[in-house]
Amino acid sequence: MKTIPPPCPEPDVGPKYWRSLDQLADTPEFRQWLEREFPAGASEFTDPVSRRYFVKIMSASFLFGGLGLTGCRRPVENIVPFSKMPEGYIHGVAQYYATAFPTRSSAVPLLVKSHEGRPTKIEGNPDHPDSNGGTDQFAQASILNLYDPDRATRFTRDGNAETREKALEELGRIADQARANGGQGLAFLLERSSSPSRARLQQLISAKYPNARWHTYEPVDFDVHRQAASLAFGKPVAPYFKLDEANVIVSLDCDFLGAEEDTYVNVRRFASRRNPEKSAKPMNRLYAVEGLFTLTGANADHRLRVPTSAVQSFAARLALEIFKQKGGASNELQAGLTKLAAGFAGNDSWIVECAKDLLAAGNAGHTVVLAGHRQPLATHLIAHAINSALGNVGTTVLLHDAPPPVGGSISDLAQALNASQVTTLVILGGNPAYNAPVDLNWAQAQAKAGTIVRLGYYEDESFPTKGWHFPMAHFLESWGDARTADGALVPIQPLIEPLFGGIGELEVLARIGRLEKTNPYEIVRETFRGTAGEGENVWRKFLHDGYLAGSAAKPVSGQLDSSAVTRTLQAVSVPAAPGRDRLEVVFHRSYSLDDGRFNNNGWLQETPDPITKLTWDNAILVSPKTASELGVGEFDEKSRGPVVRKGLFKNQLVEVDLSGRKIRGPIWILPGLADYTVGLTLGYGREKTGRIGRLHSGQPAGYNAYRLRPAAGEHFAAGGKITATPEIYDLAGTQEHGAMEGRPLIREATKKQFDEHPKFAKNMDLEAPEHMQHIAKDPKTGEPLMIYKHPYRVYEEEKQKAGGRLRGPAVKSDTHQWGMSIDLSKCVGCTACAVACQSENNIPIVGKDQVIKGREMAWLRLDRYFAGNIDDPQIAYQPILCQHCENAPCESVCPVNATVHDEEGLNVMVYNRCVGTRFCSNNCPYKVRRFNYFDYNRRPLDKLYRDPFTSFNEGEWELKRWFKDPSRGSVPDDQWDLMKLAKNPEVSVRMRGVMEKCTFCVQRIEHAKVEQKVKAGDSGNVQVPDRTIKTACEQACPAEAIVFGNLADPNSRVSQLKKQDRDYAVLGFLDTRPRTTYLARIRNPNPNMPDPHKYSEAPGILKEYMDRSGSNPMEAHGKAHGAGEGTHTPAAASHEKGAH
Amino acid sequence: MSDIFPKWTNQLPAKVLFGGALIGAATIVGVWYYFTPKYTRVGYQPIQPVTFSHAVHVDQLKLDCRYCHHAVEKSWYSNVPSSSTCMNCHNQVLANDPRLAMVRESAQTGKSIPWVQVHKVPDYVYFNHSVHVRRGVSCVECHGQINKMDEVYHAKPLSMAFCLECHRNPAEKLRPLDKITDLDWKWSDDPKTAAQMQKTKGDQFMHDWAIQTSQSCSACHR
Repeated sequence: MKTIPPPCPEPDVGPKYWRSLDQLADTPEFRQWLEREFPAGASEFTDPVSRRYFVKIMSASFLFGGLGLTGCRRPVENIVPFSKMPEGYIHGVAQYYATAFPTRSSAVPLLVKSHEGRPTKIEGNPDHPDSNGGTDQFAQASILNLYDPDRATRFTRDGNAETREKALEELGRIADQARANGGQGLAFLLERSSSPSRARLQQLISAKYPNARWHTYEPVDFDVHRQAASLAFGKPVAPYFKLDEANVIVSLDCDFLGAEEDTYVNVRRFASRRNPEKSAKPMNRLYAVEGLFTLTGANADHRLRVPTSAVQSFAARLALEIFKQKGGASNELQAGLTKLAAGFAGNDSWIVECAKDLLAAGNAGHTVVLAGHRQPLATHLIAHAINSALGNVGTTVLLHDAPPPVGGSISDLAQALNASQVTTLVILGGNPAYNAPVDLNWAQAQAKAGTIVRLGYYEDESFPTKGWHFPMAHFLESWGDARTADGALVPIQPLIEPLFGGIGELEVLARIGRLEKTNPYEIVRETFRGTAGEGENVWRKFLHDGYLAGSAAKPVSGQLDSSAVTRTLQAVSVPAAPGRDRLEVVFHRSYSLDDGRFNNNGWLQETPDPITKLTWDNAILVSPKTASELGVGEFDEKSRGPVVRKGLFKNQLVEVDLSGRKIRGPIWILPGLADYTVGLTLGYGREKTGRIGRLHSGQPAGYNAYRLRPAAGEHFAAGGKITATPEIYDLAGTQEHGAMEGRPLIREATKKQFDEHPKFAKNMDLEAPEHMQHIAKDPKTGEPLMIYKHPYRVYEEEKQKAGGRLRGPAVKSDTHQWGMSIDLSKCVGCTACAVACQSENNIPIVGKDQVIKGREMAWLRLDRYFAGNIDDPQIAYQPILCQHCENAPCESVCPVNATVHDEEGLNVMVYNRCVGTRFCSNNCPYKVRRFNYFDYNRRPLDKLYRDPFTSFNEGEWELKRWFKDPSRGSVPDDQWDLMKLAKNPEVSVRMRGVMEKCTFCVQRIEHAKVEQKVKAGDSGNVQVPDRTIKTACEQACPAEAIVFGNLADPNSRVSQLKKQDRDYAVLGFLDTRPRTTYLARIRNPNPNMPDPHKYSEAPGILKEYMDRSGSNPMEAHGKAHGAGEGTHTPAAASHEKGAH
Repeated sequence: MSDIFPKWTNQLPAKVLFGGALIGAATIVGVWYYFTPKYTRVGYQPIQPVTFSHAVHVDQLKLDCRYCHHAVEKSWYSNVPSSSTCMNCHNQVLANDPRLAMVRESAQTGKSIPWVQVHKVPDYVYFNHSVHVRRGVSCVECHGQINKMDEVYHAKPLSMAFCLECHRNPAEKLRPLDKITDLDWKWSDDPKTAAQMQKTKGDQFMHDWAIQTSQSCSACHR
């Protein structure tokens, strides 16, 4: 049709309304009557009959309020379907796309869940050959960056907005210029990437512009692994570690469980061997040597505190010992090692026994020595020498071909800039103005370039006030590719069009190179063609699966180039040991903010650092001994942390001086650090960050460690000084007390103890058989009687009486009974589960002030406990979530019955019923219930305490603003719109005054049940198969420590786990009968190792328990009581009541 | 001393209390009845932008519900059809009828038709269509005789009590899976036989299909 159709008139049908008034609706008399200002009856007001008529009419007219009258009944809500439905689209059914989260040298393979065309939850890709579906906390939280209102949304030139066309023209101009002079004066500064497409573009552009300079910079760089392996084996290779093949792992300052790359691979492989039960592969053993306290050290069976700078000397001594016991080193290598070994004295037996363990007969080829990214090349080379000597190359250490990445360093680039050799500087990603080494003076150097084009995700410190800024597209909005650690090719698929017109790295490069294809999809497709051929089917399968089958790298053989190693060692000078006046400053990657890129990510800011449990701030870490020598800070020996007064951390501000540069930050005394080491966390203190990074009084959160970080000492530097200042700083920590003080919350034993007494975990505290025997038993079942009869039991009894079938609703379902088992031996404390839970369940962040008050909203918290010697403690982690107690103390105290128990064992929280009494949280012994003290979604976090009658927002009274739109909060518009997109539509968003807690991901449970029932149709096959439902935490955990499933199915994995001897319930003596139980933690110490703190006899936690309770779980419980009666603590004394 | 207060104030407290009690009772009774979904929702019949008549399409033309509302078996959400679905027939049938002008405009320009939502449960209720439709609950149980409606009206209260009525006794509402969209279907024409069959067959379905209607809060509120 060529003509525009006439607009539809309103249909003229008289609406049928309810009640008898509709008879009046259509009569002409009534219509006329309504139009008169004063109805005819008004003058007859006094007449009783007409008055009744009048009242009736007036009320009718009020109800009608005009013509066409649906508005007064209920606000009109529209359903707006597609005009043409996309093929295969079903509203309400989530779609999954395989993509990958690009990291510096690899990627995390992902399956991203998409609702209504936007990504809502990131999950790992279990189909990928090197993944079990686990992710790390950065991948989980990266989705919030997509919906960050502070991200760059515009193209700018000299600080003013420009159109995209003009910006792309500029790229064309640069291309023309480069073509004219072969790229002279053109310099690129890139981040590290494993993308084959980017490498291909780099090659093409280098060929076109041979004079262009390429530089790569990462503030936290893992490339040293590749450099070292290439040097050690004389060919361009990078190492890949198969930790699940290792019986013994020695970590030389290598935080492979936390701060290194690919933790999702390392944690999975490591945890798969943390199996104390008898199995084909014995439990592995981890030795850690480090200066800071890292997650790897926390999980180590033996940990030695060595200053970071001395680890290379330690490694040399270990190597010497191994060569002494085994032989096989050339004289030159020995000499080189001996020279280096002089830097670390003492701990002879530690090294000897460790070497013996590595050389043990059963471990041949199944050990591995790892060096961390903070270590200089020498340590890595020594590690490779050891691995080579032990025959690990080919089993635990695989070598993959790895061509060296093209690019010089940022120091070279700064030099070129200062020499005015750079006319056009293109910065792709990264934030060099913030995190470049401080002695390069990057901000000034950058300004020396003629033209700057910076592609950045935020308009941050590197935003050129003179030059171009392009908004970068998020990886969830871009096409790209990457290679995971095992070498497999993975796609990066967009789930949504760029929200703000961002542009990707590939497109910028392609345009500068004036390449034929500038569309990122085309570029990736072209690269893929080169790898896997033309076939469209192969491409589609690649996108579907999330990886290219058969593309994993084939390991190559490698012979240690002993002379290369020796040469490097000989060139190393042994640093002096740190001392009180020359402290060693160690810069480390933040477990939450990475190198600072996640500074504006609220979830990560509020995720507590696993070691210090601090949120929103970084602290200056020193050991207790160092702190007391320097006279800074206050250490509480009982809680193993800084002193807490009235629940508040008020830590002393200190000044750290390194080479004349100073920063100030709060001191944090962390037991377990090497002495005279100062730990500085990178990633905080950003000046130009978004609203989250500046939440606390508008000041940047934390101190900026980059201000001290020199180019030569980017991981650690000597000569630091600390001076105290009189100022105090508030820190927001989520755990004030770092010790269990002997309470058996985490139950731990050594492997030897476990082998001899497998049921030790059940022999602790009041649940020990010797105590339980006193409790009256049910004569029929033999189970201890409970204080109150749970409705489940009542129901079961009635059902038995009725012969197995009751009419009426099932109080307890026979099909599903949900439960969870968490294996503490496998949990490494990485916090991926906590961030995944926050993402899945729309958990808000509360801001630093509220965290200080203890109001953090995380449903799943990781409790971290120190135990043992003050200077050399052990750490244990325990994820605590709602235990879904069968005898839930919270359910019985709710005055409005907002928390109830459903038929499948879940403790259900009904938000719409909750009135906010908070009695349930009061009663919860695990303190897992979180209360919404404020409306954290609708109020800006720094304006929570404003009241509606006096506060004024942007020229408008709060109350008035509320009246105009009650459902819209007072957060800024951009934040409001994007925040709504980030929420998971399957979970309620809770308002102020409502209690919330872990629901075992009830939305996933219901979804699975519905799917199963829909599939079953008219059959009775309604039980959800095991492992179909994965809670968010379970799915994110790379260690597979959390297992959720159906207890009504005796073959389910969780049922099997609960039958294990190690299974116990936290605070089980309260008879809450939690559905979440834990498997006790087993450490695997080497009995021959020197053991000054007696950890090999019993771990610190176990020792504390034994001291406090006076009983030894390895023996019959009553024995210990009988023996030491005089030493009972009051808690234990209660045992005496009743016959023993 | 003269009387400070006039005589009629003697009875005032009593009258006020009694009157207050009466007003209170009346308010309670009024709210109890008039504020329930049964009163406020049933009969709601908003004016739709296009005069689509279910009676014509379903009763006369015998279109199955799922021809247009195809997502009802796969998703929690039963979709309102897109204009392209309407145009499947109406590009030939009544191709120039003025009543369908908006549909044609929508199909041509891509502008959506703003249908007015009739059935809505509160945001804190998570209702899933597919599990009901695929497990023996017919459309008519919750939506009434849509096939007789010229303009859709809210036929049932859809309150929590309404949902619980069925969840507490699903045997009364189940029917064979192939009769879900047959809104006129009855077990038998004779009401007594029909009731009898509903009871026996309903119980049989409950057993054979392992129907477990959850009555706890987590079924709908999460």
